[in-house]
Amino acid sequence: MLTFLGLTALLIKIGLVVGISQGAVAYLIYVERKIAAYAQDRIGPNRCGREFGVPLGLIQPLADGAKMILKEDVIPKYVHKPTFILAPMIAIVTATIGFAVVPFGPVGAGAPRLGADWPVQFQIAPGVDIGIVYILAIGSLAVYAVVLAGWSSNNKYSFLGGLRSSAQLISYEIPMGLSILGIVLLAKSLDLNTIIEWQDRHGWGIFWQPVGFLIFLVSAFAETNRLPFDLPESEQELVGGFHTEYSAMKFGMFFLGEYLHVITVSFLTVILFFGGWDLPFVLSADQTSWISAIFKVIVMMSKVSLMIVFIMWIRWTLPRFRYDTLMNLAWKSLLPLGLLNLTITAVAAQMILGG
Amino acid sequence: MIASGSEFEPVFIFVVIGLLVAIGMLTVSAVLGPRKTTAVKQMPYESGMDPIGDARNRFDVRYYLVAIVFLLFDVELLYLYPWAVSHWSASTATATIDSDDSAATTSAAEPAFPPPGIPPTLRKVVLFDVLVFIAVLAAAFAYAWRKGVFEWR
Repeated sequence: MLTFLGLTALLIKIGLVVGISQGAVAYLIYVERKIAAYAQDRIGPNRCGREFGVPLGLIQPLADGAKMILKEDVIPKYVHKPTFILAPMIAIVTATIGFAVVPFGPVGAGAPRLGADWPVQFQIAPGVDIGIVYILAIGSLAVYAVVLAGWSSNNKYSFLGGLRSSAQLISYEIPMGLSILGIVLLAKSLDLNTIIEWQDRHGWGIFWQPVGFLIFLVSAFAETNRLPFDLPESEQELVGGFHTEYSAMKFGMFFLGEYLHVITVSFLTVILFFGGWDLPFVLSADQTSWISAIFKVIVMMSKVSLMIVFIMWIRWTLPRFRYDTLMNLAWKSLLPLGLLNLTITAVAAQMILGG
Repeated sequence: MIASGSEFEPVFIFVVIGLLVAIGMLTVSAVLGPRKTTAVKQMPYESGMDPIGDARNRFDVRYYLVAIVFLLFDVELLYLYPWAVSHWSASTATATIDSDDSAATTSAAEPAFPPPGIPPTLRKVVLFDVLVFIAVLAAAFAYAWRKGVFEWR
């Protein structure tokens, strides 16, 4: 059972994670608009807040958020009301609770200590040793948000968008799971922190599993509905896709959920393939001081930020897939490649290590 | 260490807080937003035209096929994950990827139940079994491919 002190620490951690992630999402939207603008030789949002002396339109996200809350929340007459309201809640809850097992810094034996025997774990649920399975499971639950939104809206665009999207999400879940298996086999654990420590000792995952990394990256883009895989809401064909009928904060919750998903996937990529908080020759699992812990958090956040910028950059580099090419990529390319990668990894490990 | 389940308590608390955040957002939006309903606003959106027919129509059977093939491979993944974790985690001082694994050395001192990982002598047999398992699924995959499950027009 949790002690009172443990519960307080837990609530502080949850508050920090929820607060920082929501704030980060607000500013990610700003960053994305700026990147989009520069990619298209525009300037992007730069007016908002000029009256108050805020430069570069930096309070644009606050204005957007206020607008989301203050707009009318239309619930059309022909929708199935319970599921219509449930869908955005599922979207945001599944996107949020994925952070429960993500280590933001050193966890376990490498955690810094307050006093003699009070380790500060940079993770909400440090005892859970099946982090990868948990994140994949929560990611699968996110499909329900899309399916329910598409079906309950009673709108042809929503319906088609929901159908397409659910098929896309379940198709790319399989290559994603397969691509992680290689690194799980090498690191011998499903615990994200153990995987980071393994990479700290043996080198980053991308060097051990380059093919796995590519498969994971492509599937991650598809799972987060980002371009070039944003067919669920391809605005030229389907208006808004599954959230056509949503307005005000319900729409905002889908939006928030999508960006939270991008953050989770970036964390997962960094943890599985880029060593997490590890910096070769500088940081290692043996350092348990507070200074090293802070450096580890900074390294981790920098890598995650680079990954997020990379995802936004890809959006303006590649055009959208056609639906049949999208499904072909998942089933005819990534899935056989993933199986092959797993087989070769397992056989090569057996031949090199023997036993 | 045998898990008691209490390590999931923070996750449950987090889920509850996540739900509260979601409900709070909906409530704030419902309280602060205006509410003026008109007949046109209540219609399903169809690019400004009056909607024709019901949206919940029959749809392509291929979506069902993809869902069924998904089940096949999802269950395959469920079987492969435990194998991937346990394949190298048994303790052998020389053969494992890293011999300084603390969990492996402690388990060697006191026999745990169930024993962690696949015994080194069985690794080749288990790997062969897994390869057979993957081959059977690959055959099913090839069959589905031949049958045109993955053909989208």
